Amino acid sequence: MSFKNISITPGWEKYMTKEYQDLVERGPYGKQKKVSEMGSFKEVLEEHPMCAGCAMTLFIRLTMVGLPNPEHTILIGTAGCGRLALTQTSIPFIYGNYGDTNAVASGLKRGLEIRFKDQAKDVVVMAGDGGLADIGFSGVMHSWFRKERFTTIMLDNEVYGNTGGQESGMTERGALLKMAPKGKMFDKMDMIGLAQTSGVAYIARLTPTNPTRVASVVRKAVLIAREVGPTFIQAYTSCNIEYAIPTPKVMDDARDIESKRYGFMEIISDEAKAYLESIEPAKKVKK
Amino acid sequence: MYLVAHIDQAICSETACRLCTQYCPEANTILYDNAAKTAFVAVDRCKGCEICVGICDDLAKHHAIKMIMINDLESPFELSKEGFHPEKWDGKHP
Repeated sequence: MSFKNISITPGWEKYMTKEYQDLVERGPYGKQKKVSEMGSFKEVLEEHPMCAGCAMTLFIRLTMVGLPNPEHTILIGTAGCGRLALTQTSIPFIYGNYGDTNAVASGLKRGLEIRFKDQAKDVVVMAGDGGLADIGFSGVMHSWFRKERFTTIMLDNEVYGNTGGQESGMTERGALLKMAPKGKMFDKMDMIGLAQTSGVAYIARLTPTNPTRVASVVRKAVLIAREVGPTFIQAYTSCNIEYAIPTPKVMDDARDIESKRYGFMEIISDEAKAYLESIEPAKKVKK
Repeated sequence: MYLVAHIDQAICSETACRLCTQYCPEANTILYDNAAKTAFVAVDRCKGCEICVGICDDLAKHHAIKMIMINDLESPFELSKEGFHPEKWDGKHP
C-alpha cells in the first residue's frame, strides 16, 4: 500500500459530484479564499437546519473560510447545535459521543500523521460549551496536557441551547434561563486560564463581530496545530432563542457583549510565533 | 407568505462594501455580482433573520436592504434552480 495522498485520476474529474467540481473550480479547494471574496465563491458550508439569525452559524461559516486546507481537514463534533451545520459541510465530520471528542481527535491525528506522510491533515474539534467544558472536560484537558496537535474550537453560547436552556459551566453568574429559573449561582469557567495552565500553544477568545478576524484566527490556530501543539479558540456565539434576542439584534448583542466583557484576546507561545513567522515571513504576525 | 431580504441594487452598486455577504449566517445566500458590483439574494436560502438589514443600516449606513414579501419580488433568484455559476449571473443584475 502506498502512503501517498489519494487523488483523482486525470480525466475523470467530470465524474465527480457537482459540489466537488464547484468547490475545486469556484471554491476554496486547492486555494484559500478570503473573507472579502465571500458571495463570489462556492462555500464549504451548504444549506443547514440551524435557526434563522444564529450567530453560531455565522461563526461556523466564517471558520470554513478561515481553514487553510478545507480539502485536507476533518471535523469532529458532538451533540449540540453546532453539529447541525457542521454535518452540512463538504468536509468529513465525525460525530463523537458526548465527552470523547478530543480523545477521538487525538487518535485520529496520530493515525493521519502515520498514514499521510506527504500531506498535512488538519483535525478540528468544534463543539459547544457543554460538549467541551462540562461533559467533555477531562478529554479536553488531557489532550492539552498531552500536547496533541489539533485545534479545539468552543462555540460558547453560554447555555444548553439544544435541550431547552439548562445552565452550563460557561453560563455567566446570575443568568436567568428556562431551566435555571433562579439564575446561575456560580461563575463562568475560565477556560482561557485552564488552557494557559495546560500549555496550549495558541489561545484566542473572540466574538463574530469582525469576519476577517475570525477567519485569520482560525487560520493561525490550524497552522500552529500542524507543527507546534494544541490550539484553542473560544468564540461567543449567542443563542438567540434561549436568551430571547430578536434576530435583527443578534449582531448588536455580539458587539455589546464584546465591549462589555468578552473582548478579543490572543495568547501565542514564542514557539508558535516563530513557526508562524517562518511560514509566512512577509506577513507581520500580531501579538 | 413570508419576508425575505431584498437588496436595492441601484444603491448597492454605488458602493463596494460587501459587508452583508460576510455577516449573513446562511452560506451562499447573499451573493455578489462582480460585473454589476452589487449584492443580491438567493431567496430560496434566505431565512428572513434581518441581520443583513441591521448591518446595511447601522454598520455600512447604505440603507439598501429591505425585507419584502416573497411574492412581491419581480424576478426572484433561486440558487437551487440556477446552480452556482458566477459567470452566468455576473452583469445580469443591474
